[in-house]
Amino acid sequence: MAEPLLVVEDLSLHYRTEAGILRALDSVSFELGRGEAVVLLGESGCGKSSLAKALLRLLPRNVAHHSGRVLLDGTDIMALSDERFRRDIRWNRISIVMQAAMNALNPVVKVGEQVAEPLLVHAGWKRAAAAEKAAQALARVGVAADFMDRYPFELSGGMRQRVVLAMALITEPALVILDEPTSALDLLTQAGIMNVLKRIKWETGTSFILITHDVGTSSELVDHVALMYAGQIVETSPARDFFREPAHPYGRALMASVPRLHDRADPVHIEGNPPNLLDPPEGCRFAARCAQRFAPCDREPPFARLAGGRRALCWLFDEGGRE
Amino acid sequence: MVPVPQEPARGQAGRDMRQVYLFGIFVARRIVALVITVMIGVYLTIVVANMGGQVDELRLIQIRADVTEEVRADPGVSPAERQALIERRVALEVDRLNLDQPFIWRSFDYLRRAMLLDLGRAEQMHSDLGSRQVSRIIVERLPATLLLFGTANVLVFFTSILTALSLSRRYGSPVDRAVVALAPTSAAPGWFYGIFLILIFAFVIPIAPPGGMVAVPPPDDALSYALSVLRHMVLPVIAIFISSIFVSIYSWRTFFLIHSSEDYVEMARAKGLPERMIERRYILRPTLPPIITSFLLMLIGLWSGAIILEQVFNWPGLGTLLFQAIGHRDTPVIIGGVVIFAYLLALTVFLLDFLYALLDPRVRIDPEGSGR
Repeated sequence: MAEPLLVVEDLSLHYRTEAGILRALDSVSFELGRGEAVVLLGESGCGKSSLAKALLRLLPRNVAHHSGRVLLDGTDIMALSDERFRRDIRWNRISIVMQAAMNALNPVVKVGEQVAEPLLVHAGWKRAAAAEKAAQALARVGVAADFMDRYPFELSGGMRQRVVLAMALITEPALVILDEPTSALDLLTQAGIMNVLKRIKWETGTSFILITHDVGTSSELVDHVALMYAGQIVETSPARDFFREPAHPYGRALMASVPRLHDRADPVHIEGNPPNLLDPPEGCRFAARCAQRFAPCDREPPFARLAGGRRALCWLFDEGGRE
Repeated sequence: MVPVPQEPARGQAGRDMRQVYLFGIFVARRIVALVITVMIGVYLTIVVANMGGQVDELRLIQIRADVTEEVRADPGVSPAERQALIERRVALEVDRLNLDQPFIWRSFDYLRRAMLLDLGRAEQMHSDLGSRQVSRIIVERLPATLLLFGTANVLVFFTSILTALSLSRRYGSPVDRAVVALAPTSAAPGWFYGIFLILIFAFVIPIAPPGGMVAVPPPDDALSYALSVLRHMVLPVIAIFISSIFVSIYSWRTFFLIHSSEDYVEMARAKGLPERMIERRYILRPTLPPIITSFLLMLIGLWSGAIILEQVFNWPGLGTLLFQAIGHRDTPVIIGGVVIFAYLLALTVFLLDFLYALLDPRVRIDPEGSGR
């Protein structure tokens, strides 16, 4: 494989809270190739959104510990100064569609201006040219040009989501992070937006990190799956392999909990709750809910390499651990 | 291409006409509502300031006493004639003041005159130039109050907004914590600090005058007059400033903190916009309506002055005037003050309606007149 676009190595992020140190991300590592899309899959509170924010260095004030390397085209962007990161990385190289897109637009600025804004600020475009480009970007996501002069409150939720998407794409960044881009929308609107994303990926070769807990919507867009559980990535697999049969026991349990069209088996609920990230258990974090738990699980599991470029954080695939 | 819902086409001219029509209805409704509000406020004041008509009893006794005093001074009149004269003159006064009619009837007459800004004559007070016209008395005191409190409050307002905006970015920093710790100093009123300021800077280190608005006798040329007023303003302005600056910064900082955690502010940050632009366009701009409201309300709040602070600094303002009027039961002066204040308030609210629509596109004029 050629040099990947994005390499995340050992990324850790801990927050200081009233109750103690919350370990939102622990030694997260993954890679993403050019023009590829990866989904970060996992339930609420597993650290997906923290990862998105850490990649753009949009950290809250209560960060206790932040370490690791994030290489974009071989450059460690964690090491850049704040000002350089703001000017060179944000929106020029990486943009984001945030979770709460309903409220992601400034209520008192016209939609067109907001979409064009990154061009004015980062690329020094002239107003008229930026407006024209904004109209094109909006058209590409299916928003007509006469919406440019409207205010966000005059748009429906789906329209606003499209506007935010157009805004994320306008500077033609190498990587777009989509944090739950469709979770607040109805099914038809979801499908419409996923189709737009697929087309853009095909046409422009933009890389995507899709963050969702929704197995169904992600399967159409992505090439890879990174499964997250309790602040760790527990499996990375090519999407086709993962959706056929996940390697990690958590992945299998997760897939078994998804209702399927052509399968008469009832969805299976995963017993128990994710561990408390204030005080994560020793050893494997999924062990308490795992059906295949055995003796070695009390110790920190290895990130085992499997056939087909898959990896899983589990003793089941370790030579030493298997009995 | 994904199909897009289109708005049904409508004639631009027709839409404009309709907008103007709706706008006219909106303005008319607002004016009617505000006039009724002012009317209710003024009427309540009339009833209260007249103690539901009881002040008229006092007034009657006062008239009889005054007339008796005047007539007694006139010798060479028989007691019977004198009594008749007294009755005649009292009747004349009663007729002039319509005191023979029931209070409820006269209260509406007062209301009509008050609403038409016919503030009438004071009963006991008069302006420095000797006029008994309530409007003259008020106009004479107004500039002094506006000058002092206007200067101090505008200073406090802009200082606190700008400081608060920068503090909201440095939440938890030493300066921020110092401001939070100092906020309770505003529990003490301006006059409290005023007393200490006078003590220190007028007597211990005499660098400022202890009170008054201008040197006695007042300087002749305009420039030295202005300088003298300025010198007299320093201590009271500082007193007001100290007493309100910290709590003001504290509350605006909290306001900005809440608004800087909006999703669109975070989005602006992700977009890599410079911090100044985020402050201006994403924090200040969407929050302008409440800021302007509070600014305008502060401005009309000045009108009532501050009674004790004006006393402490011997400042010839409206606060002192209203205080004296209440003490003298000078009903016309009290009502006159309230009427003007009510009109100013109504005018401000009217102005705010337009500013809101201008500043926030979500506030739309609809025929219900209910704002959004």
